[in-house]
Amino acid sequence: MIRIESEPWTAMVAHARATYPNECCGAMLGSIEGDEKTVHAAAALDNAFAGEQARYYQLRSEDLLAADKAARERGMSLIGIYHSHPDCGAYFSETDLKNSCPWYSFVVLSIQKGEFDHANSWLPDADQTKADKEELIY
Amino acid sequence: MAKILIPTPLRQFTGKQDSVTVTGDTVGSALANLTAQFPDLRKQIFNDEGKVRSFVNVYLNDEDIRYLSKTDTPVKDGDAISLVPSIAGGSALGGSVLAAPPEKAAPPPEAALTKEEILRYSRHLIIPEVGIEGQQKLKAAKVLLIGAGGLGAPLGLYLAAAGVGRIGLVDFDVVDFTNLQRQVIHSTADVGRNKIDSAAEKMKGINPNVTIVKHEVALTSENALDILKDYDIVVDGTDNFPTRYLVNDACVLLGKPNVYGSIFRFEGQATVFAYEGGPCYRCLYPEPPPPGLVPSCAEGGVLGILPGTIGLIQATETVKLILGIGEPLVGRLLLYDALSMRFRELKLRKNPECPVCGDHRTITKLIDYHQFCGVPSPNQAPAAQETRMNEGDISVIELKEKLDRGEKFVLIDVREPHEYKICNIPGAKLIPLGEFPQHVGEFSPDDDIVIHCRSGVRSGKACNVLRAAGFQHVRNVVGGILAWSDQVDPSVPKY
Repeated sequence: MIRIESEPWTAMVAHARATYPNECCGAMLGSIEGDEKTVHAAAALDNAFAGEQARYYQLRSEDLLAADKAARERGMSLIGIYHSHPDCGAYFSETDLKNSCPWYSFVVLSIQKGEFDHANSWLPDADQTKADKEELIY
Repeated sequence: MAKILIPTPLRQFTGKQDSVTVTGDTVGSALANLTAQFPDLRKQIFNDEGKVRSFVNVYLNDEDIRYLSKTDTPVKDGDAISLVPSIAGGSALGGSVLAAPPEKAAPPPEAALTKEEILRYSRHLIIPEVGIEGQQKLKAAKVLLIGAGGLGAPLGLYLAAAGVGRIGLVDFDVVDFTNLQRQVIHSTADVGRNKIDSAAEKMKGINPNVTIVKHEVALTSENALDILKDYDIVVDGTDNFPTRYLVNDACVLLGKPNVYGSIFRFEGQATVFAYEGGPCYRCLYPEPPPPGLVPSCAEGGVLGILPGTIGLIQATETVKLILGIGEPLVGRLLLYDALSMRFRELKLRKNPECPVCGDHRTITKLIDYHQFCGVPSPNQAPAAQETRMNEGDISVIELKEKLDRGEKFVLIDVREPHEYKICNIPGAKLIPLGEFPQHVGEFSPDDDIVIHCRSGVRSGKACNVLRAAGFQHVRNVVGGILAWSDQVDPSVPKY
């Protein structure tokens, strides 16, 4: 289960609306207690995909390294990645799966016509063959 | 001894430790020792073949080991190793698009760098955005330069120096003295040599590792596709409209980026055409200008330094395209004005109606570009047009005899005042062509009128103006003051 506190949640939705019609991406920082993850802060990161950003995103490893470092310095952990799907559902696409990492929760925000519609969180496996839906509370 | 920072989700496998200090001389041995200590961690980092999983990037301190020596990168005491995920995605359904992010595509094995090359390119290798992989991409790249002149000179020198592995040159011209003011790839001793040989020699001199392919032909609709097809990127360093349209169309048809540059006097332009999704030259200029409206460098002049600036912008874009870094100059026309020393940018859009790259394409193969641009094809043009005599023409020899006999006639020079200062024929009255129509009233229909310019083209136009106004005795000096220098007075400088 992953719970996103209201401050980071508001920031994530605002980020996704601001980049519409392109996809946004960012890191979620927080803590893990057993099976329960809590997001305390969201870090908006640059979509580095050199191409059609309306349908793709790419995170720079340097940005993730910096986000991880920032989290450690504030006593938090990098626990998840978020990105938006403009004008389509919050599914975990084949593209998402084949470029995922099983260590993190992947929150997908569906933005329809510029407004937030719904969101899901996904847990991909190590072989990038499937992703399980994770309970998401915001 | 190195410290390995453990990502939070993996701490369940390391007894909740957020970092683990392990022994090992290299990154590879440190990671092996880590997973030996915590076996459950192994399958998170390595695949069944023992390779680091595709979604894991390993950093030594602040550097990605792919740009160092991969898992053989040596580790010192106090170094920190981080495991950073490689993450991308998107709503698009076709999973394979990003499955191998471009920077992970391995360069071909023949692109491996020798010890000499590692030393030669060391200032590239220490830039994280280039590194060994970037240099290997340069080595594997195949770039075609069309023209070994003003733009081709800096392009050829710098692309060879940068280590572009295979550079094709298209040129069939010969070096002359007027080239030396800007075409820095040729030296004074090269005057009279084929430009392609002179250029290739300099490029090889700078970097013997580079393969130069010489195409000593005029690029035509018949040979263009065959020449261009073997290259990844085409760089247009030409100075005429038929070839620009030809290069553009061939690039669009073959799906190859066209790195474009043009120069005139103090101003230059550059952009990248025919890049996936971007506009092409025809989107910007659907039709060529009327013949003669836009002067060439030979007619209008060019500041010698200008092609250096523009050629190097083209070289920069070429290298960026090869490396896949930065923001390419696509959909933007960069305008440079040397006098005000300003760069401006115009947004270029792909034209949906473009006949070659639009939605309803009417040009699907190469056409006759000389006909399209309304200029004579080099094959049809008589070889010595300047010396061919027609009715209404006068040769420089006849003109000299006429002057020597002291005949009464009107000699007019229709060049510009700054040209007149370089050289002139004594007794000629200067009336620049642009002002000529206003002066027609100054002549009498009985006058015997002889008109000259530099080569005979502008004076031909002035003759036509007078004939159209009813003047009978008007003659054009064939070959202009250039012919005068060759045949009458060698002390007159040519320009």
